[in-house]
Amino acid sequence: MLAVRNVRKLYGVDARAYLALEGIDLDVAQGEFVCLVGPSGCGKSTLLNILAGFEQASGGSVDFEGAPVRAAGKDRVMFFQDAGAALLPWLTAEENVRFALRVRRLPKSEWPAIIDKYLAMVDLTEHRHKFPAQLSGGMRQRLQIARALAVEPKVLLMDEPFGALDALTRRRMHGFLLDIWQRTGKTIVFVTHDIAEAVTLADRICVMSVGPGSRITQVLPVALARPRDLADPRAGELYKRVEALLA
Amino acid sequence: MRAAALFAGSLVIALALWQFLSTVVFNPFLIPPPLVVLQTAAPMAKSGEIFRHVAISLARVGVGFATGCAAAIVLGVILGRIQLVNELLDPIIELLRFLSPTAMIPIAVIWFGIGELSKYFLIFWGTFFIVLINTTAGVMRAPIVRQRAAQCLGASPLQIFLLVVIPSAAPYIVTGMRIAMASSFMSIIPAEILAADSGIGFLLQQSSVLLQTNRIFVALLTICVLGFVFDRLFRIAVDRMLSRYMSYIALT
Repeated sequence: MLAVRNVRKLYGVDARAYLALEGIDLDVAQGEFVCLVGPSGCGKSTLLNILAGFEQASGGSVDFEGAPVRAAGKDRVMFFQDAGAALLPWLTAEENVRFALRVRRLPKSEWPAIIDKYLAMVDLTEHRHKFPAQLSGGMRQRLQIARALAVEPKVLLMDEPFGALDALTRRRMHGFLLDIWQRTGKTIVFVTHDIAEAVTLADRICVMSVGPGSRITQVLPVALARPRDLADPRAGELYKRVEALLA
Repeated sequence: MRAAALFAGSLVIALALWQFLSTVVFNPFLIPPPLVVLQTAAPMAKSGEIFRHVAISLARVGVGFATGCAAAIVLGVILGRIQLVNELLDPIIELLRFLSPTAMIPIAVIWFGIGELSKYFLIFWGTFFIVLINTTAGVMRAPIVRQRAAQCLGASPLQIFLLVVIPSAAPYIVTGMRIAMASSFMSIIPAEILAADSGIGFLLQQSSVLLQTNRIFVALLTICVLGFVFDRLFRIAVDRMLSRYMSYIALT
């Protein structure tokens, strides 16, 4: 579905140039849940921005369903850590979802049913008339999920979406996201620096090295049934392996 | 209730202090006491003299402020969105904005005469730079994450501009307008003192020539009340119409 070949990303020119990514190869299959793990500044977000089409690679190719990615589009919806910034704060929860439908140019008669469906899916029906500022951090992220799903994307690109949440809420969001992923069959590329999060969620974990010139050093398949228990020795072993690769 | 009581208390203290300064520290000619000012104001109000001046000054502020805001918002949005235009115009703006409306009075009189046009121009001038700088800042600070989020939902560049960038900039624009309105009420006075035959500034100047300190105080009080009332009205209007764009600033 997504095919990344030998991608490099260079910022700036000449002496000031910074090589963020080098020789990135990655294939993501339809319906797969892939986690990119790496230390801060390793270029995971850069790679995600390139997949989304916000930034262009300096070299190599990025194909989505066989066609090169040139610009952002609703097939690949990006999901941001700062939901407060990503949502439209002057619109209520319901209106934020409606905004997505409006730009999607769906006939108005279909809107109410779709809005109801996705707000119910993320469990925000009761809070539909609240503004983002009136929602908790976890609710804001769920609203972002609802808004993203409303445009029926094929891929969700998630940039440390739960990084700013407390541990308990984050765990709840994991269950939530896995549930939605299993129900909708979306493809997910998920960036995190939290190894436990990657072990909990991913089909495959791609470990990235520190920059400059970050690359994917190792791809680890996760053959554990979900829901996963981090106390499971196999999960623990995987955790240690990723940790060792990052050290 | 508490706020109203405090407001009243503040007025009472001010009046008492005024009376004290007028009768004990200085003298009633230099600082006419409150009651004398009121006695002077009553016939001026009854004859409509004061309202005529107020209406003229308000019209000048209104026209200059409205056109200044309109022009500044349009240009500010362009400056905030198009980097090249910004880089070309920013140095000029950074230089010109130090020319206060007062500094422009002599040339405005030569360009536009002492009629209404020169006053419109001076208020326009003062409003324009304040609103322009705020609008530009607001548009430039529309969070990139918010624009990208809208972009990958499928929003067109025009939709992003109209539905994301402009509303994100609204609090900045409104703040700029509020500051500019206060400054308009301040700069209309010197303009009318130096180059007008009507308006509150003219009333001030005329009373000064005739050494009528009581009438000067009526004019000064009128300016205070006008500025205060219009700032309040502006805030109420913003609260009514734009509160959903204003209230979230704490979040981002």
